[in-house]
Amino acid sequence: MDQVGTQEKLPFSRAVQISIRSMKIRLGRSIVTLSGIVLGIAFLMSNLVSQLILDAVKEEREHRQTVGLMQAVFHSEVGSIAEKQITAVVYGEMKAAEKMFLDNLGGLTSGQIQIIRQGAALPETSDVMIVLGQDPRAAHSLAQLTAGLPDKLVLDALGTRDYSGDTPVDVRRELFFSEQTAERRAELAKERKEATFRTIWIVIISVFVTMISVSNALLMSVTERFREIGTMKCLGALSSFIRTLFLIESSLLGAAGSAVGVLIGILLPMVIYGFTYNFGVIAGSMDYPLLGLCAVVAVIIGTVLSVAAAIYPARVAANMVPADALRSTV
Amino acid sequence: MTTQTETVDQIFDAASSSRHSGFVIRSVDIRRVYQMGDSETHALRGVTLDIERGEYMSIMGPSGSGKSTFFNMIGGLDKPTAGKVYIDQVDIAQLDPYELAWLRCRKVGYIFQSFNLIQVMSCLENVMLPMSFAGLDSEKARDKAMDILDKVGLGDRALHKPQEMSGGQQQRVAIARSLANSPDILLADEPTGNLDLRTGEEIIELFVKLRDDLGVTIITATHDLKMLRASDRVVWIDDGLITKVTTPDEMNIEISEIH
Repeated sequence: MDQVGTQEKLPFSRAVQISIRSMKIRLGRSIVTLSGIVLGIAFLMSNLVSQLILDAVKEEREHRQTVGLMQAVFHSEVGSIAEKQITAVVYGEMKAAEKMFLDNLGGLTSGQIQIIRQGAALPETSDVMIVLGQDPRAAHSLAQLTAGLPDKLVLDALGTRDYSGDTPVDVRRELFFSEQTAERRAELAKERKEATFRTIWIVIISVFVTMISVSNALLMSVTERFREIGTMKCLGALSSFIRTLFLIESSLLGAAGSAVGVLIGILLPMVIYGFTYNFGVIAGSMDYPLLGLCAVVAVIIGTVLSVAAAIYPARVAANMVPADALRSTV
Repeated sequence: MTTQTETVDQIFDAASSSRHSGFVIRSVDIRRVYQMGDSETHALRGVTLDIERGEYMSIMGPSGSGKSTFFNMIGGLDKPTAGKVYIDQVDIAQLDPYELAWLRCRKVGYIFQSFNLIQVMSCLENVMLPMSFAGLDSEKARDKAMDILDKVGLGDRALHKPQEMSGGQQQRVAIARSLANSPDILLADEPTGNLDLRTGEEIIELFVKLRDDLGVTIITATHDLKMLRASDRVVWIDDGLITKVTTPDEMNIEISEIH
């Protein structure tokens, strides 16, 4: 008599076609699912980006703090710099803050600064002497440095500098760059570790919130479509086809939602921190490769998460007995 | 619609020539128990019924009688707790999910009270869907679906969405869809339940036409007197058992006695 055949699997492209259409038609529901992913990924991404921005701004902030301190010391010692001849002796490389300090000083004065590098001859006379640079070995003795000064004023940015020939001169030596003791370093390291831990914790929470919200939205979508799924099964759809429909839908929603979420997650902290600090500073010192990596990882996480979140709803849909599906009057 | 359905047989020439006589569905002492927590509900308590090929059979019964359960069993939508259901001599309990899907796709056409068209698809795509499940390529499926829609009088509305159509039109689309893979059996659950009288009559005419011209076995669950009159046999189910099997003529007498 009649043979019973085995139902063939439908091509994947047809499943994609049907899922896209059903997402378009159920736009409201799709947007709810999508916004779950968008919010979750935006939250995750904004956390990562905030961290990146703070890291970028932190160095800049420290520089500015140091420069401010140097300027305060300088001005309290020197007073008015009007018509004073300033000599800056630089040993080795200058730090960014020292450069900034020197630039600022140059801006305030008009050609009153003379910069002497390492071994070069010192000027005959000057009113103020500043010593900068990170080389701890000074090429001159303090006596030499202060020889031409009416006042015995030296501002040294490196407190541990070793001057040749040791003449007791009253010198103002500020320790701008050597104040980080082991204790302070340990404290900073601890703070950093706590911040990292906090970030990881927040990331995990946001990931779970996203997953649960997507899973919930998809379960609703399964319930909404009980009849449709049952009908498809009556018409000869395989369980695997129903499962594929939901997995495709969630992966597409996941990818699209993550992309939007990443965009929001980058722009939002940029704008917020941009007002607090400075757009230029943030844009200038951002770690772009790391930002790109974060974005890619966030999109992957979002997509994988929403597919993972769809596994249970898809199984519920696929395992439905067609008769049960038809009985429901949703 | 009658004039349009006269030529339905042309589409199914090949299909109808391959049909055989004999029993198309046999149910042997089928029982179905639903487990609801601690309590058991016996929806079917031993139903034996043979349905002949080319027969137009109606199933009557109050709600909760097990009518829908029986309906699902013989349509391969549900498996019995005990007993056997044979569709085309194949014991459906022996089939794996792939074979069951194959059976639902090609052997049986389903028509529902609330039409159950897929709202996201146009009429044409609804009719094409079972064809694509059957592996027909989309060009051929499109042509065939257009043909069937023409025959049910909806050729010009093929690209409309179901929600843009009247109930009668939607049910005709559903019938077109059930015919997509030229099934041997049409299962219709209260097909006229959501339709007005005139539209209902058109649907009944279409069923009779399908039986006469194509030899399709038609099984309906219905309360519609007109549907009962058009059928060859009426099976009454109550409390999970068949209480009687009558012909429409006998039934007319009974109904007139009641009145």
